[in-house]
Amino acid sequence: MSRPRAAAAVLAVLAVLSVAGCGSDGSTGPSSTATEVRGELNDHTDSTYQGLALTPPRPRPQFTLTDTAGREFRFGAETAGKPTLLFFGYTTCPDVCPTTLADIANGLRQVPEEVRKQTQVVFVTTDVKRDTAAVIKSYLAKFDPGLPNRFIGLRGTQSEIDAAQVAAHVTLAEDEGRTHSSQVLLYGTDDYARVAFLQSNNEAAQVAHDLPLVADIK
Amino acid sequence: MDAVKRLPLPLVAAVLLIVAGLAGLVRGAIPQAAGTDAAAPAVPRGPIVVSGAYVREPANGINAAAYFTIYNTTGVADVLTTVQSGAGAQASLHVESSGAMRNSAGLSIPAQGSAALSPGKGHVMIEKLYGPLKPGQSVNFQLTFAKAGQLLLTAPVIAVTAPAPIAVAP
Repeated sequence: MSRPRAAAAVLAVLAVLSVAGCGSDGSTGPSSTATEVRGELNDHTDSTYQGLALTPPRPRPQFTLTDTAGREFRFGAETAGKPTLLFFGYTTCPDVCPTTLADIANGLRQVPEEVRKQTQVVFVTTDVKRDTAAVIKSYLAKFDPGLPNRFIGLRGTQSEIDAAQVAAHVTLAEDEGRTHSSQVLLYGTDDYARVAFLQSNNEAAQVAHDLPLVADIK
Repeated sequence: MDAVKRLPLPLVAAVLLIVAGLAGLVRGAIPQAAGTDAAAPAVPRGPIVVSGAYVREPANGINAAAYFTIYNTTGVADVLTTVQSGAGAQASLHVESSGAMRNSAGLSIPAQGSAALSPGKGHVMIEKLYGPLKPGQSVNFQLTFAKAGQLLLTAPVIAVTAPAPIAVAP
């Protein structure tokens, strides 16, 4: 297998493994070993990072959405050069989304103050219909108290949200946004994501370990 | 008594149900004498032992997820078939399958084994909440097993970013 093809195959596998778990389609499906494989992949695949190492690294995407104040938010330009955690989810998700955002918040609380001050957290809703600006704003306020930078909530039209997911190379959400990627992408000061995080009971510690590695520490 | 007599029975029943739901089940103040297996709700002794139970305070105020680990101390596999919750009108078992959370007809617990509901793997989703769930409250659940029958479980509500309790094997 040629190198590009091998890389594409790896990406395809990762994409399948990282589709998450908040969706509920009301049906019963066959059991899967995806959870076990995902659990193994999430730890120490690269000795540098405790999260899931991304090979090749993914450049910080360029997409434009709307923040909870109704302003245009150009992700690439406004977060450039800053350690940034990017997560796609929706507010009525009972399980993976709130746990992931709590893990991000708890990980941030464990890193040095200078790292915490640089870091931006961006939540993009995949539920275009239900997640209004007010809903997203009050939702994120449950997670970021005490942190120097408020979590940024973004929304848009279905095509804008789809474009953002494509730009970030995450699996497109389905079922009105309820089955969505559970990857948290971490972009560094060099504007590349070399590591991502998946839901696990160790996620906060992984964020706390890896975030300083991609931040600007004097 | 006269006042009660004049009220239509369905209304009385409905009011009693609402009172039971709000005052009893949500607050965790269900009369212990009412349940047969309710001597130690957190870790009931018996063939099935549940540990590490918690409900995370819902950040959305709309639905909540409960997590716990079930230990089967018997030599025969069992299945958790249904869950009822005192915190909302609807409770359903969701288990991760093929990359998405799906309604599950039952959670199998192998003989002398365990099954965990944890973020990303599965949860009891509570919908149509009767009221806000805040840390310090507790939620009662009635779990029904195919073999072991019914079990009453009390789970504390923990803060949005609080660490989850750790399950302890019996």
